[in-house]
Amino acid sequence: MKPETQNKVAVAVVIAAVVVTAVVLFILMRMSYLPDEARVTQLIDQRLAQKGSSISTPGLNEAQVIKLIEDRLPDAKSGPAGKGVNEARMIKLIEERLAAGKGALSEKEFNERVERGIVAFIDKQRRAEQERPKQLARNVPPVSKSDHIYGSPDAPVTLIEYSDFECPFCKRFHRTAKQVVDESKGQVKWVYRHFPIEQLHPVKARKEAVASECANELGGNDAFWKFADRFFELTPSNNRTDVDNVLPQIAREIGLDERQFASCLVSGRHDKRIDKDIRDANASGANGTPWSVIVSKSGKTYPLSGAQPQIAIKQLTELALQEK
Amino acid sequence: MRTYFSDLRAAFAQVFAHAGYILLASALALAVFLFAVWFPNFDLMGEVFSAPGVAFTAKLQIALSLLGGIVTNFSLFSAGYTIAIAVLFGINTAMIVYLLKQKRAVATGQNFAIGSGGMASGALGIGCAACGSLVVSTVLSSFGAAGALALLPLQGEEFGILGAVLLVVSVSLMSRKIAALVSCETVAGERRDANSQSHRKVTPSTVNDSLKSTR
Repeated sequence: MKPETQNKVAVAVVIAAVVVTAVVLFILMRMSYLPDEARVTQLIDQRLAQKGSSISTPGLNEAQVIKLIEDRLPDAKSGPAGKGVNEARMIKLIEERLAAGKGALSEKEFNERVERGIVAFIDKQRRAEQERPKQLARNVPPVSKSDHIYGSPDAPVTLIEYSDFECPFCKRFHRTAKQVVDESKGQVKWVYRHFPIEQLHPVKARKEAVASECANELGGNDAFWKFADRFFELTPSNNRTDVDNVLPQIAREIGLDERQFASCLVSGRHDKRIDKDIRDANASGANGTPWSVIVSKSGKTYPLSGAQPQIAIKQLTELALQEK
Repeated sequence: MRTYFSDLRAAFAQVFAHAGYILLASALALAVFLFAVWFPNFDLMGEVFSAPGVAFTAKLQIALSLLGGIVTNFSLFSAGYTIAIAVLFGINTAMIVYLLKQKRAVATGQNFAIGSGGMASGALGIGCAACGSLVVSTVLSSFGAAGALALLPLQGEEFGILGAVLLVVSVSLMSRKIAALVSCETVAGERRDANSQSHRKVTPSTVNDSLKSTR
C-alpha cells in the first residue's frame, strides 16, 4: 500500500473512531435521561391532575392509564435500576389505549398535551441530571447522634467523609482530616461514614467497617476513633490486611472485650447501617473513596473527591466558615 | 535503537528550535495536567467559583492548592504516567503542527490516529489508582464500571499505561518523519528513501534550505 493511501486509511480510521465514540457517548447520555417507571407514572399523574378531572374517555380513568403503563412495562418493574422506557414507547402506549375509545377530549388534543408534558418533563429531568452532583451533595443526611464525630459536636463546619478501610487514599486522608480538625480550634468537626468498595476490596472492606461499628457498640465514639486510627496505622490497604489477626489485635489494644467483639463481628447487626451509608454515599454523588462533603453552618455544601492536600481542606473549611 | 534516538534528537532540535512550538507543547502539557488533577473536583470548583462574597484570590488559592492532589491523590505510578501523558501529548501535538506547517499533512494522519488513541486511553486511566478510574467510573457508573475495573489486574491503570505507550509510539513515528524531512532531501529536491544513493550530506545550511523550499 502506498504511503499516501496508508495515511488516507489512517485519517478515515480516526474519523470513524471519533464518530463511533461520539455516538456511543450520545447513546449513553440519552440512556441516562430515560425516565424510569416511577417517572412515567408521575408524569401521567401530573398531566391528568393538570386537567382537573379524570379524562372523559369511555372505559379509561386515571388509575387505568397508570395501571396500563405499569402492566405494559414489566422490564421497567423488574429490571435493574436506571432501566427505563423511552418517550416514543410511552406515547405509543397511550395512543394505543386511546384508539380503543373516543372521548370528549379529542385523541389528537390529548396526545398533543401528553407529548408537550413529556417533552417538558424530560427537559426538566435532563437539567436535573446536569445539576446532579450539586443537588445530590445537598442530599447528604444531616449529622445525627449515631454518627461518629471527631472534634467538637458544636463546630460550625462539618467534614463528612465516606471512607473505605482498604483504600490507601482513605488511609492518607485520615491523617489529613485529623490534622485539619485538630488545628481548627473547635471550628471543624469530622464525621466518618462507611463506603466500602466491595468490587475492589471484597469481603475485607465490609468486615472492617463492621468491626469499627462493633468497636463503637462496645466502647462508644472514642473506641470507634481509636479503632480507626490504629487500623490505618497497622494495615497496608488494597485488600492485603490480615483481618483474622489484625481485628482482634486492635480490639485487645483499645481495651474491648474480645469475646463480645468476635460475637459482634459475626452477628450481622451492623450490616444495615453500612448499607445505608453506601446508599447515602452513592446518592450524594460519590464515585470513589475518599468522598467528602464539607457543610457550612448555613448548610452550604462543598463536595470533595479524593485525598486532597491539607492546605486545600483547610482553605475550603475557611471558606465554609465565612458562610453565614 | 541508536537510529531511534538520533531521529528523536534531530526532530526535537528541528521542532523545538522555534520558541512557538515550545510554548505550544508546554501550554498543552499544562492543560492536560490541570485537567487530570482537577477532573475529580470540577463540581467543587464550580461551587467555589460561584460562591458570592469571596475574594477571587481566595478562590484561586483553593484551585491551586488542589493541584497538590497529584501527590496526595495519586500513587507514584499513576502520577508518573499522568505527567508522562501530559508531556507526551504536548510534544506530539507540537510535532503534528510542525509537520502540517511543513505541508506534510498526509504524513501526519497515522500519527494523529495513534496520538488520539493514546490520549483517549490515557484519559480513561486518570484517577485514583486503588479506587478506580475516575473517568470510567463517572461516565459508566450506571453500568457497573467499578466491577469491570476490578477484573483488570491493575484496576484501570492499564489505560494510563497504554495511553503513554501509544503516545511514545506516535512521537517516535513523528520523529522519524521529521528527521527524514531534513536529512533525505535529494539534490533535485525530490524526497527519497533514506537508503537512496543520491541523498546529500546534511549540514545546518542544507537543512534550512530544504525547509525554506518546503514552505
